[in-house]
Order: sequence, then structure tokens, then C-alpha cells
Amino acid sequence: MPLELAIAWRYLASSRRRAHVALVSAISVGGLAVGVAALVLSIALLTGFQDRIRERLARDTPHLLVGPASGAFLADPAGAARALARLGGLESVTSFVEGRGWLADAEYRTALPVKFRSSVAIVRGEASVTSAVAGPLGAGRGTSVRAVANRSELTPLGAAPVSVPLRITRVLAGPGGGGSPEIELSLEDARALAGSADAISGLAARLRSPGSAAADASRLAAELGDQAVVRTWIDLNPGLTFALRMEKALIFVTVFLIVVVAALNVVSDLALLVVEKRRDLGVLSTLGAAGGSLSKIYWWLGGTIGLFGTAAGAGIGAGLSWALDRFALVPLPADVYLMSHVPFALHARDLALVVGFSLSAAMAAAILPARAAGRVGPSEALRLSR
Amino acid sequence: MTEPAVRAVALSKSYGAGAAAVRVFEGLSIDVLPGEFVAVVGPSGCGKSTLLHLLAGIDSPDSGFVEIDGQRLSSLGARERAKLRNEKIGFVFQFHHLLPEFTAAENVALPLRIGSMNRAEAGRRADEILARVGLAGRGSHLPGEMSGGELQRAAVGRAIARRPRVLFADEPTGNLDHDNAERVFALLREIHGESGGSVILVTHDRDLASRCDKIFTMSPQGIESIGGNRDV
Repeated sequence: MPLELAIAWRYLASSRRRAHVALVSAISVGGLAVGVAALVLSIALLTGFQDRIRERLARDTPHLLVGPASGAFLADPAGAARALARLGGLESVTSFVEGRGWLADAEYRTALPVKFRSSVAIVRGEASVTSAVAGPLGAGRGTSVRAVANRSELTPLGAAPVSVPLRITRVLAGPGGGGSPEIELSLEDARALAGSADAISGLAARLRSPGSAAADASRLAAELGDQAVVRTWIDLNPGLTFALRMEKALIFVTVFLIVVVAALNVVSDLALLVVEKRRDLGVLSTLGAAGGSLSKIYWWLGGTIGLFGTAAGAGIGAGLSWALDRFALVPLPADVYLMSHVPFALHARDLALVVGFSLSAAMAAAILPARAAGRVGPSEALRLSR
Repeated sequence: MTEPAVRAVALSKSYGAGAAAVRVFEGLSIDVLPGEFVAVVGPSGCGKSTLLHLLAGIDSPDSGFVEIDGQRLSSLGARERAKLRNEKIGFVFQFHHLLPEFTAAENVALPLRIGSMNRAEAGRRADEILARVGLAGRGSHLPGEMSGGELQRAAVGRAIARRPRVLFADEPTGNLDHDNAERVFALLREIHGESGGSVILVTHDRDLASRCDKIFTMSPQGIESIGGNRDV
């Protein structure tokens, strides 16, 4: 054990003989522990909710979408299907047709521009719409609507817009838009709107591990070259995923302020220890300890306080998160929310981030006291502490 | 001609600045030869402790210079000066100044650990030194569990742990009763005899000073030596 660490450790371990130092050190460790526990709990709570949102998103959205680089239809669907198959880890691959059109109520009184996409889960004559279009149309489950194409066809009465009658079977919360369609319908209805007999707009794949979508998309894009565009389920919901990341970052920064306050307390604790131990510093300097060595004592003190506070806080936070989730200690009314209890989920990466930031804050708190200790002149220290 | 173990030339020192500055001494020179045991005496406030701090390199003069073993302190950086203090200088304070959280053995081992000796070897050496200063079996005691005489002997042990070329003692007996003062002084004489190094002792005790090889008497007018090899 380095001498500086041995001295720092002895100062902390024997501070019970000096009640005020012990109290301030305990407050420092306790403050850090509370801050870290609060941060871990907040992140776990947010992650719990966000994981549920992502799970739903991954359940309702194709994980990989291969579409044409230009035009409305995929040039080589068979080649794209083979490239997808070579990826491995596929749960299913379906072809889809998508396009733009209008969704109108049965009487054509209101019409909204929409993006439509076929889904194998929907039978002919039915549709799933987002609440963003259902609302303005005054539509709900069971309502009859009409999807109208951007193209027309010749009839005995002249050119008439192509339309298909649909009955809404599901209303999805959320705005849609971006890469996601506002309306999902059967392949036959989508083909009728798009005017394609057998061409397809793209392939939609579901993966056994949605988390690997980004890596799989990169490999697939490299293989398909510029003939196709590959998007992941994250790309299809850019607004939502950005909002989730932003929310987590803001919560982290906000709650981390508690750790910063605790770190300021570590500064005052170590500054007190510099004054308290000024005579010792003078003696050590007289015995030949260099200024850098005296500084190291306070780096070790900051590090040790940080380590204890962070470990205690991380342990408390992780333990509470686990217990709150495992035993569903915060129930939610299942008829109002989509879940029966408040979910908590702590990811190793998040915990590592909290621990890293907390230790860094504690070490940063040691900068000024360590510098002050390194500058203590032996003669002055001994004279002032007589 | 023998090179002095400690040489100080034209030392001046003052505290404070401007009109509030207090001059401690000015133009003070002193030589201490290898193997000499010298006493520095003088009235309170004449700057004996300040002189000792300057000679030991734990404070810097306003002007003049100090050489230890021919090495000029002002030419050394902070790190080199600390290394020199660790290797060539021992210092005994009036108040023992043992670190209260450390046992007697750990205190004695401190200069050895600072000098990069490993913990086990430093501990073994500290036990030997404690036995030498009459504190065998007291190594595991904290300073708070020891008497004043024992504390000062432990402090002497800490000062000689690195076998220094020069041992500085700033009124080491000033805080002790007569018997303990005699024991500490006798210990310093014995160690001086064994090591062959120089000892510079600041004391108020004229009787102890008279038993030294040379006496430097400090006064507001300067410093003069009695019974020594060279007058200053």
C-alpha cells in the first residue's frame, strides 16, 4: 500500500477519535451515497418506463425495413430477401407495399393526407390507424372510412380517384409520421391504392434480438449497395427515440446536481482536514515528503470518500430498484395505464455511468484541498500549529 | 581543510512585509564541522528556531545561503530539497510532533517509507531503532498512550531513522522534567558518538549547552561561538 494511501486511510479510520472530523467525513460519505442512490433510482425508474415503451415499439414496428433507394417499388426484392436471410437471427420477413394517399370519413366530408403501409396482421377491408388521424376524423374502433389513392382510374363516368372502403379495427396512440405510417392495411388493399399488381415497396423483417438492428442494418446496407435503403425500427421512430434519449440525459444532469452538492461538501471536509492536519503536513515535509506526496494524501482521501459514498449509494439505489420492480411495490391502476406497477430497470451501462461520474465528482472535489496541502510550507505549518 | 557539514553564509530573515516586517537576524554566518556536537543558545525571540529551520532546509532565507555537505540548498528544487531532508537531515522538535494516528513504530518508520523502503523492512528497522532509544516493546503504542519522555525518545528515533549526516534538535528537552531531559540529552550524545554525524542543538539550558563541543550564542547583535574550532 502506498504511504500516501496508508496515511489517508488512517486519517479516515481513526477520525472517530476526533468527533467533528468524523461527523463531517460521515456527512460527506452520506451525502454522496444519497445523491448516487437518488440518481440510480431516477435512472432506473425512467429506464423502466422507457424499456416498456421500446418493447411496445419493437413489438408494433418492423425491426428492419428494406425499401427502394428511388421510386416506389423495390428493384430486386428476391436479392434483398436473400441478403436478409444471410443475416441470421430473423424471426420473420414479409413484403409490404406503402405509399401516400388520403383517409376520409365514409361521407368524404373530411380527408387527411396519410402514409399507408401493408401489414400481414391485417385482413382485407380492415385498417389500423394512429390517433393523430383518428382524432380529426372522429373515428374509432369499428368506424368505416375510405382510403383514397393519389391516382385515378378511368370509369364509364370518366376519371375517378381509386379508393378502398375500410373498417378501423385498432387505434394506435402516437402521431405516426417520419418513417412510420399513419395507417396500416392489408396487402391487397395497399396494392389497390398503390396500383401495383405484384411489385412490392420493400421487405419488413422482425429480428429475434431487436437490439442488434443497427448492426444488422449496417451489414445489410453494405451488401445491398445503393439499390436499396435499410432503416431500423429506431430510424422509423426518430422523434420518439430522440425524446427518450433527451429525457434520460436531462434527468441524469438534473439529479446529478445532488451529487455535485455532495461533492462540494467533500471539498469543505477535505479543506477542514488540511487545516486540522497542517502540523502533520509540516512534519511529513520536514521528514522529506515532497509537495506532490502531500497532495496525494488528499487525492486518496477524496477517492476513498468517493468510493465509499458511491458504493453505498449504488448499492442502495440498485437494491431499491430491484426490490421495487421485483415485488411491484408501487402499483398502478391497470385499467388506466398499460402496466400494473411502476417498472424499474437498471442497466449495467447506466450504473457504470453513475459510478464513473460520482467518482469523478469526488476526485474533482479533492483538487483544491490537495493543491493546498502540497503548498504547505513545513516551517510555516509548524510555527502556526504550535 | 575539512569541508563543513553545515555552512551558512550571510543569512538574513524577516517575517511580514512592508512597514510591518519584523527582521529576525541579518548577515548571520555559521559553520558546523562533521562530527561536531554544537549548541545554539540565546534569549527567547532572537531567532534560534528560525536559524535551525533555515539550516535544515525547511525554510528559506531572504538572503545568504546554506550548504549541507557542500550542497547549496538554494540551488535545489523543492523535490530535491525534500529528498535531501529525507536522506541527510534529522530533526527533533521541542514538542515531539509524532503523528497521533500512528503507532510509535509507524512514526519511526515514516522517514524510511518516505525514502521508498518497503513496509516490512521499514517496520523491522523501526523496531531496532525503538530498542536503541530504550522503547523496546512500545512500538505498537499510539502517542496518546506514552509519557512525555517516551514521546521525545521516539521522536529522536524517528529523526535518526535514516542515519542523517546532520541532526537538528530544537529545544528537545524544553518540555521535559530534569530526569527525562537528562535521558534525552544522553541519548543524543550516545547517538552522536555512534553515528559520527553532526548535531546542532538549540537549547535554553546552559548546563546542557556547556556539555557540547561548541556553543553558538545568538543575540540581537549576531552570533558568536565559544570553545569551538572557528569563531563566526
